[in-house]
Amino acid sequence: MTLSTMLTTMSVGMLRSFAVFMLTLLGSLPLGMVVALLKKSRFGVVRALINAYISVIRGTPLMLQLLVWYFGPFYLFGMNIGNWRFPALIFGFVVNYAAYFAEIYRGGIESIPVGQYEAAEVLGYTRTQTFMRIVLPQVVKRIMPSVTNEVITLVKDTSLAFTLAYQEVFSLAKQISAAQTSFMPFLIAGIFYFVANYLVEFVMARIEKSMDYYK
Amino acid sequence: MILEMKNIKKHFGDHEVLRDISLSVDKGEVVSVIGPSGSGKSTLLRCATFLETIDGGEISYMGDCAVKTKPDGEVSYVDAKDLRRFRNYYGLVFQQFNLFPHYSILKNLTDAPIHVQGRGKEQAEQTAMELLDKMGIADKAEAYPYQLSGGQQQRVAIARALAMNPEILFFDEPTSALDPELTGEVLKVIRQLADSHMTMVVVTHEMPFAKAVSNRVIFMADGVIVEQGDPAQVFDDPQEERTKQFLRVFER
Ligand SMILES: Nc1ncnc2c1ncn2[C@@H]1O[C@H](COP(=O)(O)OP(=O)(O)OP(=O)(O)O)[C@@H](O)[C@H]1O
Ligand SMILES: [Mg+2]
Repeated sequence: MTLSTMLTTMSVGMLRSFAVFMLTLLGSLPLGMVVALLKKSRFGVVRALINAYISVIRGTPLMLQLLVWYFGPFYLFGMNIGNWRFPALIFGFVVNYAAYFAEIYRGGIESIPVGQYEAAEVLGYTRTQTFMRIVLPQVVKRIMPSVTNEVITLVKDTSLAFTLAYQEVFSLAKQISAAQTSFMPFLIAGIFYFVANYLVEFVMARIEKSMDYYK
Repeated sequence: MILEMKNIKKHFGDHEVLRDISLSVDKGEVVSVIGPSGSGKSTLLRCATFLETIDGGEISYMGDCAVKTKPDGEVSYVDAKDLRRFRNYYGLVFQQFNLFPHYSILKNLTDAPIHVQGRGKEQAEQTAMELLDKMGIADKAEAYPYQLSGGQQQRVAIARALAMNPEILFFDEPTSALDPELTGEVLKVIRQLADSHMTMVVVTHEMPFAKAVSNRVIFMADGVIVEQGDPAQVFDDPQEERTKQFLRVFER
């Protein structure tokens, strides 16, 4: 196999890894906010459920969670869902990352001084306005470094998709390497992850910088 | 009558912080509230501005009742939507300024008028610039709060409250978080407001200021109004032992 066929074959895997990455972010960034807000719910039951969800998700391996989402419907409920593999994969990733983002958001929201809420309240802002106009913009700035860390971890975690036999770049690298007795596929995969994270850091640094105008 | 507070009671746990306090403020009046730490001064302002809920009593603005207590002791506030209508009547200046750090000075002054009161952007900005000019910080309109000194930030906070065009302005120790050399510039602005007959209630530890600027001084201790009256009388000829004792500490 020439290097260029190797690259062509693996680039399909790269696209698939990228798909997992993007879909996970698109799902978990907003879902994390919903979870963070539910965690502050007036209803004790809701808070307890959210706490249980977060602690189970953080306390078990993502690989295991993926297997549970994929096989669970069949073994637990005898359901046979066609084409469930990819949805289960994305679902598992989103549910996992939402828990981590929720904790980051919560920390950010709690770090906003109570004086900001009181000033807004006296000025007559509604609760929604206070959150959207006063609190959230400050939260976003404060949590950027933690979010960057999480996104970098996600880039590397996409390789766990192999658990559900999803042929992303890392599982392709293993297969090709075994078949061709070549080390090259691993090198290509390594460069792929590194470059991806380099881009993530670049983009996140730009976003952080765009919020540098205030302290 | 701009503000009328009747028989206000407030406790935290079993600590009675306000014990049957009544306070009325007329249009154009400047009322200073003095008293030892923990006497309930901040709590009184926080109840008046609905940051705390009262446990008994009645609060009205412009004859419009926001909360009352039924004979059986049940306290009933108007609902949240109506309460926001009351927020147009007053402004509050905090000890810690509480400016919005992510907004420019101009935006700090225009955001609520535009998004809460529904005023036009141009008109809100014009009003804001006039206020900043009065406060002597028009050149800071495009700056952000962290770029300003404490004294300047507090003047912005006063302007932000005024931008809502309130009937009455409350101040909770507006100079206590400032370095001594910066208190003067803030007190000067409040004095100007007094000269223009802005209705104000000022909690302060600045006795000379209270004496010079207010029409009425209220001395609070342990959750009650011990003595009130003309500043010359309260400061120079206090009737109550508790007042004398408190003022003696300040003379030293
Ligand atoms: N949220 C709260 N929970 C419990 N106790 C409180 C709370 N807020 C105030 N208190 C108590 O109520 C009492 C009155 O407090 P307040 O802040 O009104 O006093 P103050 O007259 O403003 O004092 P200072 O001059 O120090 O500002 C104090 O004993 C304080 O500890
Ligand atoms: Mg106080």
